[in-house]
Amino acid sequence: MERAAQQAVPLGQMEVFQALQRLHMTIFSQSVSPCGKFLAAGNNYGQIAIFSLSAALSSEAKEESKKPMVTFHAHDGPVYSMVSTDRHLLSAGDGEVKAWLWAEILKKGCKELWRRQPPYRTSLEVPEINALLLVPKENLLILAGGDCQLHAMDLETGTFMWALRGHTDYIHCLALRERSPEVLSGGEDGAVRLWDLRTAKEVQTIEVYKHEECSRPHNGRWIGCLATDSDWMVCGGGPALTLWHLRSSTPTTVFPMRAPQKHVTFYQDLILSAGQGRCVNQWQLSGELKAQVPGSSPGLLSLSLNQQPAAPECKVLTAAGNSCRVDVFTNLGYRAFSLSF
Amino acid sequence: MSSESSKKRKPKVIRSDGAPAEGKRTRSDTEQEGKYYSEEAEVDLRDPGRDYELYKYTCQELQRLMAEIQDLKSRGGKDAAVEIEDRRIQSCVHFMTLKKLNRLAHIRLKKGRDQTHEAKQKVDAYHLQLQNLLYEVMHLQKEITKCLEFKSKHEEIDLVSLEEFYKEAPPDISKAEVTMGDPHQQTLARLDWELEQRKRLAEKYRECLSNKEKILKEIEVKKEYLSSLQPRLNSIMQASLPVQEYLFMPFDQAHKQYETARHLPPPLYVLFVQATAYGQACDKMLSVAIEGSVDEAKALFKPPEDSQDDESDSDAEEEQTTKRRRPTLGVQLDDKRKEMLKRHPLSVLLDLKCKDGHVCIEPRAWPVFSLQSFPSSSDLLSPDSVLSCLYPGDHGKKTPNPANQYQFDKVGILTLRDYVLDLGHPYLWVQKLGGLHFPKEQPQHTVITDHSLSASHMETTMKLLKTRVQSRLALHKQFASLEHGIVPVTSDCHYLFPAKVVSRLVKWVTIAHEDYTELHFTKDIVEAGLAGDTNLYYMALVERGTAKLQAAVVLNPGYSSIPPIFQLCLNWKGEKTNNNDDNIRAMESEVNVCYKELCGPRPGHQLLTNQLQRLCVLLDVYLETESHDDSVEGPKEFPQEKMCLRLFRGPSRIKPFKYNHPQGFFSHR
Repeated sequence: MERAAQQAVPLGQMEVFQALQRLHMTIFSQSVSPCGKFLAAGNNYGQIAIFSLSAALSSEAKEESKKPMVTFHAHDGPVYSMVSTDRHLLSAGDGEVKAWLWAEILKKGCKELWRRQPPYRTSLEVPEINALLLVPKENLLILAGGDCQLHAMDLETGTFMWALRGHTDYIHCLALRERSPEVLSGGEDGAVRLWDLRTAKEVQTIEVYKHEECSRPHNGRWIGCLATDSDWMVCGGGPALTLWHLRSSTPTTVFPMRAPQKHVTFYQDLILSAGQGRCVNQWQLSGELKAQVPGSSPGLLSLSLNQQPAAPECKVLTAAGNSCRVDVFTNLGYRAFSLSF
Repeated sequence: MSSESSKKRKPKVIRSDGAPAEGKRTRSDTEQEGKYYSEEAEVDLRDPGRDYELYKYTCQELQRLMAEIQDLKSRGGKDAAVEIEDRRIQSCVHFMTLKKLNRLAHIRLKKGRDQTHEAKQKVDAYHLQLQNLLYEVMHLQKEITKCLEFKSKHEEIDLVSLEEFYKEAPPDISKAEVTMGDPHQQTLARLDWELEQRKRLAEKYRECLSNKEKILKEIEVKKEYLSSLQPRLNSIMQASLPVQEYLFMPFDQAHKQYETARHLPPPLYVLFVQATAYGQACDKMLSVAIEGSVDEAKALFKPPEDSQDDESDSDAEEEQTTKRRRPTLGVQLDDKRKEMLKRHPLSVLLDLKCKDGHVCIEPRAWPVFSLQSFPSSSDLLSPDSVLSCLYPGDHGKKTPNPANQYQFDKVGILTLRDYVLDLGHPYLWVQKLGGLHFPKEQPQHTVITDHSLSASHMETTMKLLKTRVQSRLALHKQFASLEHGIVPVTSDCHYLFPAKVVSRLVKWVTIAHEDYTELHFTKDIVEAGLAGDTNLYYMALVERGTAKLQAAVVLNPGYSSIPPIFQLCLNWKGEKTNNNDDNIRAMESEVNVCYKELCGPRPGHQLLTNQLQRLCVLLDVYLETESHDDSVEGPKEFPQEKMCLRLFRGPSRIKPFKYNHPQGFFSHR
C-alpha cells in the first residue's frame, strides 16, 4: 500500500507548498491518446499531465513510471474536460478550448496548436466549459458549460456555427446519440434536453427531478452525468442514478446509490458509475449492484476506458477525482495501482 | 731378390765386424748371440726414403709372383709345381723383407715419439716458470698501486690554501725555504699550522662561554626587577578605570572579555569572535558576553575534543574503586554519565534585542558534544521550540557528532530528551556558528573549529533568529487575542475581507501532537509527512448559528515563511469533511494553498490571523449559499447576504469562495 506513514522529512518552504498543492489537487478530466499508450489528465490548477500507460503497465514498471512523463501548464483555470481526436487533444476549462498535437505533446515546452473561445453573452465573468463532445461524422466539436448554451464548432474551419439555448442553469454534461444524430445535455437546472444536430432544435426535454422515483430533493436537482446507448439513457447527480427509456421518457430502473454520481458510462452489458465515495460501481441493467471496487481518492469525478484498438495491452479503466492520483484498474475487479501527479 | 737379401746380410756381417775387436768370423753364430743385434742403431743408419722404395718394390714383386703362381696354377702341368715352389720361396723371402721394414718403421716411430716427449717436457717447464714470473709481476704491480693510492688522514683535513698559509703562518712553522721545494715538508708544515690554529680557537671558545654565563646572570637580575614593576602598573590601571568610564571608552571591559575568551573552548571561542565581529559591524542589537568562572576553566585543562580521555579516566576510576568495595554497575554507569555530561564552566551569552523583546541564547560547550544552545530568558512562547527548525530539519534532538553515538551507547544514554533541561539542544546552526563541522560520511577523530564556517553562517543565522523571534512575539500577542475570541486583523489587511463577517471564533486551544494525529479529518496531512513532532498544534472553533466548524491547525516552527495548515470539519446538517464534501475541500484549499495573498505586509506575521478571518468569511459564504431544500419546511437558516455572481460552478459545484476587492462580491477562482 502506498499509504505508509512517512517520517517528517526536513521540509523547506517549497516542499511544504508542493505537498499542500498535491493534497488539494482535483483531477477533473482524462483522455486517452489515439495510439492508446498515453493518458492525459487535467487538474484544478490548469495543468495537464501525460502518463505513459504502456510503461506503467509493463512488467519492468518502476515508481517513476507512475509519474507523468511531462506536465505542462495548459489553462489559467481548472481543466474541466478533455477529448481526443485521432491527432489532437482538445482541452477546455476556463472558457477557452485549446488543441494540442498528440505527436508533439511529449516534448518540453509544447505550445497549443490553436485556441478558441465561443461567443459568450455575458462579459462579467468568463463562463467555464464543463463538457466537450466530438461528433465525428460531421466533424463537429460541441462545447457546453457555464453560459447555459451548447456551442458547436467546426473542427476544420474553427468557426462557431450555432448555439443551442434552452437550459436555465449551467450545463454539466453531454452525450451523443449516434443514430439520429442527437445530443443530450444535462444541467444544473435538473433537466436533460435532447437536441437534433441537423435542425439545431430541441427535440425532447426530460425533467428528472419531477419524477418521484428518482428525485432526491435534499441533494438538489442537478444532473451531473449522462450516458446514452441509442434507446436508453442513464443519468444521475442530485437525483438518483436512473435508467431511462428515451422514446417513452420513462424511468425504467432506479439504481440504489445514495451518493450523487458524477460520471456514468455503458460498458459491454454493464453500467459503470462513480461519484462521491471511493468506489467505482458496476451495475447490471436490471438495477443490481454487481461490484463496488474501491479506489484511492475520496471522491471520483471521471472514468475513462481505454478501448483504442491500437493498444490492446493498455486496455484499462482509469478513475480520477478528488486527489492527485489516477487509479488504474486492469481488471474491473480490483485497483491495480495508481498513477500520481 | 737374392741380391736384396745379400744386401741385407752384408750390413749384418759388417756389423758383426764393427763389434769389439774380439769379434772374429769364427765366432759367427755364437758371437752373434753374445753381441746383441741392435736394430735401433740400424735405424739411425738407414735412410727412410730408401726403405720406402724398398717397400714399394717388394710389394710389387710379391704381386707379380702371386700373379705368376696364379697363372701356373690355372694352366696346370707337371713342372708347374716346381715353378710354383720356387716362386713360393721367393715370396717368402719378400715377406721377410716386409716384416723387417715393419719393425724398422715401428722403431722409428718410437724414437720420434720419445724425442717429442722430451722436447715437450722442456717447453712445459719453461712455460711454468713464465707463469710464475708473470704472477709475481702482477702481484708486485698491485702492491705498487695500493701504495700509490694510499690516503693518509692528513688529506681529509681542510687545510688553508697555500697563499694563505704562507701569508699567515709564522716563519718558524712555515719554513718557506725548506717547504717550497719539498712537497712532503710543505704538507707537514701545513699540518703543523693547522694544529696551531685549532689550539688558539679552542682557547677563544672557552673565553666566550664564560662571557655568556656572566651575561645570563645579568639578564636574570633585570627580569626580577621588571616583574616587581607589574603590580605597580596594575594599580595604576585600576586607578584609571573611573576616568575611562567617564570618557565612555570601555577598553578595560573589552580587554577583560578578551582575557576570559582565551579560556573558552575552541568552538565557543570561534562563536565569540564571530559574534562580536558581526555585532560591531552589522547589527547593533546584538551584544555578546561571557559567563561562568574562569578559574574553573583554567583548572579544567582538558582540551574539549579529547573525549577519548573519558574512557581512560573512567577506567582509572574503576581501578581505584576495586580496592574498596566495588560499587554497583548502576552507580558506575551514572558516574560515567555525569563525567561525560559535565559541561565546560564558561559559556557565551548572545543577547538579541528586537522591537518588542529580546532573546538570550547561551551556547555552552560539552567536552563530548560540542555546542548546545540554551535560551535562557523565556519572554516567548516556549523556549523548547522557539529555536527548533531554524533551518529546515534542524530539530536539535540528536547530537550531530557521530562519535557521540558510541559514547552514549557505552554509558547507556538512549535519547537526549531526558537531559534536555540540563543540556539544551544541539542545534546544527550552533555547531556551524562555533565553526564545527560534522560531515556525515566520515567520522573524525579530532574535531576542528573553522572560523570561515562560522563567519559564512553568522549573518543568515542572526537574521533567521531575528525573524523567528519577531514572528514568535507577534504570534504571542495574537494568541492572547485569539484566546478571547477576537481575530485581530490589522488595518492594512482589512481589504482582504468583506466588511461584515458574521461567523465568530469561539475557541482557540493548544492540542498535543498525538491528539492531532488521532483526529479523523487530519489523516491526509499526517500521511503527507507534514505533521511531525516539531510542529505546534492548535484547535480553533468557529460558529454561526447551529453550524460549528472545527479547524485543526499545524503550526510549523518556520512560521511565517511556512504557512500554517488547516484541516476542517463542519458540523451542520451532518458532519462534513474534505472526504465527503467538495466545498470543504475548496475551503481548505482557499486557506492552505492560496495563503500568499493572506500574508499581509512584510514580514508577513499576520498570516495566521488573516487565515482565521478568511475561514470565518468562507463559513459565511458556505452557509448562506447552501441551496434550499424544497421538501423541508421553514425559512433558510442563513439568508444570503453576500453578493455572488453565480452560486455553483464546475463539475464539483463549488461555491464562490473568492472575495473580490473593492467591488465586494464573491466569485469563483
